[in-house]
Amino acid sequence: MSVRRGTVHAKWIVGKVIGTKMQKTAKVRVTRLVLDPYLLKFFNKRKTYFAHDPLQQCVVGDIVLLKALPERRSKHVKHELAEIVFKVGKVIDPITGKPCAGTRFLENLSDSENLTEADTTYLSEKLQELKVCSTDN
Amino acid sequence: MPMKGRFPIRRTLQYLSQGDVIFKSSVKVMTVNYNTAGELSEGARKFVFFNIPQIQYKNPWVQIMLFRNMTPSPFLRFYLDNGEQVLVDVEDKTNKEITEHIKKILGKSKETLEKEERERKKLSHPATFGPKKYHLRECMCEIEGQVPCPAFVPLPKEMRGKYKAAMKKEA
Repeated sequence: MSVRRGTVHAKWIVGKVIGTKMQKTAKVRVTRLVLDPYLLKFFNKRKTYFAHDPLQQCVVGDIVLLKALPERRSKHVKHELAEIVFKVGKVIDPITGKPCAGTRFLENLSDSENLTEADTTYLSEKLQELKVCSTDN
Repeated sequence: MPMKGRFPIRRTLQYLSQGDVIFKSSVKVMTVNYNTAGELSEGARKFVFFNIPQIQYKNPWVQIMLFRNMTPSPFLRFYLDNGEQVLVDVEDKTNKEITEHIKKILGKSKETLEKEERERKKLSHPATFGPKKYHLRECMCEIEGQVPCPAFVPLPKEMRGKYKAAMKKEA
């Protein structure tokens, strides 16, 4: 009764790793927003997927991007690890590229020691523009 | 009795169907990173509160994930089918600006939507009659000016099969 299905429905998914006890496989929990028909509110519905992770580089708590495999690797493994989006404990802010934890950066952002003359004059000009001038009534 | 919750209008079908962001078929996952405190994330918070239900309603096959207080700066990230990732910085933007921006970069244009609407209309013919699921009207008696349904108004004698058969027999 094993029907060999051709393609998987979900091609790319983002989920959180919940288990790495299997060899070269990560258990990933994926949440999707599903509309409750009576309340008309969206709730998270979770589903677990197994993903192939050949280098065993996932730790429990990572946010990962999974890519669907062209054909099933085993009975349950239909996806593979494409990239680790956020590594637990070592989150990198994609806008600045700096490591951060929660709502604060881990390293000092401003490098006032390495500013050149041109930088300081440019910055002071910008500060002058931003200064709010009070109108005399 | 009023509806429960802070802005219960978000939970009405009319509000949900008013969402105008329909993603292109290549968008698979949308990730929103925002903070629960701070003025810079204010627009992102309003976006999540008001606009995410509309977007998910219109795009049921896009996976939307929300992450709170992971990074200091709020941003949106889209994962497309060809492996491409689109990063949208939403720091210091209002929720209206965010929706306009994503509509412009990843939303289906009005022409594509109109073309799809026309394709869908072509499949069904408006002049046929049948079950409500597939046709507009079920019977000719529903139309004004036509013979009314005999279930409500009895047909005149001349139109009844019984009378016509009796006339034929007589002749």
